[in-house]
Amino acid sequence: MELLIDSLLSAFWLLIDFDPEFIEIVIVSLRVSFFATLLASIAAIPTGLLIAYSTFPGKRAVLTCLNTLLALPTVVIGLLVYSFISRRGVLGSFELLYTQTAIVIGQIILIWPLITTLTIAAINKIDSRYRMTALTLGASWSQMAFTILKEARYGIVAALVAAYGRVIAEVGISMMLGGNAKGFTRTMTTAMALEYDKGEFVLAVALGITLMSFAFMINMLFNFFQGRTKTDAV
Amino acid sequence: MLYNITHLKKIYGARTVLDIERLTLEKGKVYTLTGPNGAGKTTLLKMLALLSSPTSGDIEFLGKKVQFNDKSLYQARKNVVLLDQNPIMFTGTVRENVGYGLKIRKVDKGEIERRVHDMLDLVGLKKFVDHDAQALSGGETKRVALARALAIEPQVLICDEPSANVDNENQEMILDALAQANRQHGTSIIFSTHYLSQGHRLADKALLLQNGSLSDILNENIYRSFVVEKKSEFSLCQLSGQVSLQVSTELLGDCDEVKVWLDPETITYELVSSGSAQQSVQVNRLSGHLVEVGRQKGMVKLCVDTGVKVVVYSSYEKYRRHGLLLGDKIIIDVPLSSIRCTPV
Repeated sequence: MELLIDSLLSAFWLLIDFDPEFIEIVIVSLRVSFFATLLASIAAIPTGLLIAYSTFPGKRAVLTCLNTLLALPTVVIGLLVYSFISRRGVLGSFELLYTQTAIVIGQIILIWPLITTLTIAAINKIDSRYRMTALTLGASWSQMAFTILKEARYGIVAALVAAYGRVIAEVGISMMLGGNAKGFTRTMTTAMALEYDKGEFVLAVALGITLMSFAFMINMLFNFFQGRTKTDAV
Repeated sequence: MLYNITHLKKIYGARTVLDIERLTLEKGKVYTLTGPNGAGKTTLLKMLALLSSPTSGDIEFLGKKVQFNDKSLYQARKNVVLLDQNPIMFTGTVRENVGYGLKIRKVDKGEIERRVHDMLDLVGLKKFVDHDAQALSGGETKRVALARALAIEPQVLICDEPSANVDNENQEMILDALAQANRQHGTSIIFSTHYLSQGHRLADKALLLQNGSLSDILNENIYRSFVVEKKSEFSLCQLSGQVSLQVSTELLGDCDEVKVWLDPETITYELVSSGSAQQSVQVNRLSGHLVEVGRQKGMVKLCVDTGVKVVVYSSYEKYRRHGLLLGDKIIIDVPLSSIRCTPV
């Protein structure tokens, strides 16, 4: 108990002091998670829209696959990406391993199914008359899609918030593809794992508090947007 | 020619919801589509609006065959607008909603602003231009949706029960706007309605849909007539020199000239020689000769020349029982409930 209290107190001092190492770790985490979410959303939102508004044989199977991918363990993604970007891999010449780019690639794979399924759910939730109205007023498919995304914006923002929360808290991909290099690829979660291994709890607890604060803010945002979606539905 | 439809079918699972052998609609006309719930009205309207593809058959729109899996569909769709029974407003102001169709057509801002104001003026909602469109009442939403549809000046406006679920004031405003669009811009209008009187008042032609198929019933038994005697309860309308009918004065209003429609399905008939026809004295009893016999929608269509030709629908059983032959003298009874009147 004494260890926890001491660690907590020291962690608070670290937070208040804005320790450079601590700040660097937080910035790397936020940056990597931001780019992963941004790039994943560029691919996942149109995919979700396309799946939601298309009828094709095997659509149900595609949805089942997407739902299965939601449970994909981060270490599996780490291994998969590693096999491509390691020196002996197909993309080995790009020297991506142990870079922030490698983490971003892994995290995109992690959250792409999440954003896609939540986008499909958000689009399915809005009234089908929006689509019909846009089309009858002369909208092309892309103009209709833009209109629909605007109407489903709260649900889609909620999907992005959930995805951001997922990547900022993951450890497997960051550790396996980033390598936890200090100042380069050390994120909050990998730093916490390392400090734990070293038996140094102060930085780990400080990072834990920061991560939990971010998680809390993200959930607040998620609930806000989810709430807006429900109000819209009423 | 606006639409030329041939062998059109729409099948959901094992159920055929629409089966139209041939339908031709002309430019600049007003058509009304009536029929009971589940007759296929909305399905047909969606196909006419090029929003739903048929299971089989062809739709020719403005002289070109519609290809539902082709890019040309978007271009064709720009000429036709469907006004939904319960229209929905996009997020934003009334101005943004009415200007939606113009914006996606890349019309310049000044022109959009002008047309938005003109259309809102037409539907009497100019003061709502900056209001949140999703906060409007049901009637106002319907009027803004009509303004939104008319703003793009479509060649065809298709309305699914435009006057349903709105009060009389909104109803009149919507119908007036439709009539004005047709008169001023030559917009062809096709609208579904449950009210026969609306159909006869606005439409050049009425279409009746029953179990997914078109019927001619509504275009039969329509006569222009003069009110020759008006009393408090019943009045006398002259259909031709010799044929007069007693109608409820309530139906006539202040008019001296009306369009009278007799529902061919509720008119009863008897063969003069059968004897039973002589027994009772009815309000509107006409006699004439059977001049035409046909088959329609599982019934026998009889055309009786009473001085004016009156179409009567009979069951097969009754037709066989009487053993009717062309030239037979027939007495028909037109009950008051079979008569509808609309101002000319």
